[in-house]
Amino acid sequence: MIEFIDVHKTYTNEVKALHAINLKIEQGEFVAIIGLSGAGKSTLLRCINRMHDITKGKLIVNNIDVATLKGKEIRRFRRKIGMIFQSFNLVTRTTVLKNVLVSFVPDAPLWRKWTGVFSKQHKFQALTALDKVGILDKAYVRVDQLSGGQQQRVSLARTLAQHPDIILADEPIASLDPVTSKQVMDDLKDINQNMEMTILMNIHHVEVALEYADRIIGVRKGEIVYDGKAADVTQDILDDIYGGKREDMETIEQEEAYV
Amino acid sequence: MYDKIFRPKKMVLPNGKIVLEKRSKTPLILLVLIISIYYSIQLTNFEISIIKDRWNEFFVIVWEMLPPNWQYTSKLWEALLDTIKMSLLGSGIGALAAIPVAMLASVNIMTNKVIAIASKVLLSLLRTLPTLVSALIATFIFGLGTTAGTVAIFLFTLAYVGKLLYEQIENVDMDAFEAMEAIGMTRIQAFRYAVIPQILPNYLSTSLFCFEGNVRYAAILGYVGAGGIGLILNENLGWRDYSSVGMILLLLVVTVFLIETVSEHFRKKLM
Ligand SMILES: Nc1ncnc2c1ncn2[C@@H]1O[C@H](COP(=O)(O)OP(=O)(O)O)[C@@H](O)[C@H]1O
Ligand SMILES: [Mg+2]
Repeated sequence: MIEFIDVHKTYTNEVKALHAINLKIEQGEFVAIIGLSGAGKSTLLRCINRMHDITKGKLIVNNIDVATLKGKEIRRFRRKIGMIFQSFNLVTRTTVLKNVLVSFVPDAPLWRKWTGVFSKQHKFQALTALDKVGILDKAYVRVDQLSGGQQQRVSLARTLAQHPDIILADEPIASLDPVTSKQVMDDLKDINQNMEMTILMNIHHVEVALEYADRIIGVRKGEIVYDGKAADVTQDILDDIYGGKREDMETIEQEEAYV
Repeated sequence: MYDKIFRPKKMVLPNGKIVLEKRSKTPLILLVLIISIYYSIQLTNFEISIIKDRWNEFFVIVWEMLPPNWQYTSKLWEALLDTIKMSLLGSGIGALAAIPVAMLASVNIMTNKVIAIASKVLLSLLRTLPTLVSALIATFIFGLGTTAGTVAIFLFTLAYVGKLLYEQIENVDMDAFEAMEAIGMTRIQAFRYAVIPQILPNYLSTSLFCFEGNVRYAAILGYVGAGGIGLILNENLGWRDYSSVGMILLLLVVTVFLIETVSEHFRKKLM
């Protein structure tokens, strides 16, 4: 379970990225976070795995108070949270298999960490993960020779190899065409349903979000302005999230409405 | 500014449109160059007449080097090997040491700005120090001999490879690094798996290139007592034993040529 209790995040340059966030996400949910760019979606995701520190409030993930973790504890905590990115964030000069194997580095013995020589068992697990996302045949191909859709699947395999409880996805289909987008979304849905992983996704494409997610969270200027079932989202709600309509009425009302 | 003094040339096309062509800066640059060359000649007391009168002395020495003193070769091997060992060891250790220093100097890896800037300054300072001078200093610390030469070459390699390396590290794509940190790696592990694959070919190539140059440097380090073949070269020049000097130079040319050919071959493969 992920729980935000009155969470604030201000960057060192005084940018207020998150404001009074209250949120509760149960294990196994498929949640899409929508909102304009700059609204604070990426910040919200990155607070969950402590890539960013929150500045106020409490954030509890799987019964752990995230802000209290230090050094090694943070790294152990991150092992249970997978992350995929808009630009895939792979090492493009090496093979697909090596990109998945990095998942095992934190748990490997010291000499393996440095040499990058992995055990048979880890290779087996990495290949299994690649098989799960349907690109086993590309295992020994260099990543820079794959299409965008295939690269996103490699990054998905890398995350699966971690066996996380939660997958954070920051605009995973933003640089893909509609067809490959659908494949990646189908993969994610499949993972969510068959492996009971929580999926928390930032996404630009509202129609895709409504189609795949069970729950939609609308973020505007660092605040949650909608949180509810995907089926209940109306055009008015979308206008509100994307700041079309009631631009001036702002903060106070909404804070009360969604606590 | 320049355009205000030298007005752009106006060109009117048949349909009345006006194009302004900026004046070329080449004549001005040429003028500045000629003036500075003139003053450098004055300042250094350079005299063309000396070159005219004494250029044949060069050929006198070259003639005396021929034929080279072949018997002398047997006495040279050890010094030549010393020279190669000095450059190989100095370059190898220097290139390895450059990695951690370059990491400390890269602002994207080192979050502490003070350490990053201090490391950069250290590398610049080391680079301004001519190898011959650092060799001289090293002889005071380590005594005469190859250790001093090795240290001098180590320092130069560290500075040279370190500088090029941190520039590369700072230009690396940090996306994969972020992913590695999210997986639960330490920053050093993330560097190993996300940054090293991106910089490795270039790093090896730079190190080899530096090694090539170091063989040549190493040959003259003997002049300040830092060991190797330069020591013997200096001696023989002192005795005006030009046929031995010829043998030394021949051996050096062949060695340097061989090393550069091999190194170039590998560098091409890396690219
Ligand atoms: N590392 C950072 N340092 C300072 N400001 C940041 C940083 N990351 C994001 N911001 C700012 O925080 C706000 C929210 O950004 P972000 O979470 O990336 O929004 P989104 O993902 O919804 O586009 C923006 O105003 C952005 O400029
Ligand atoms: Mg974003």
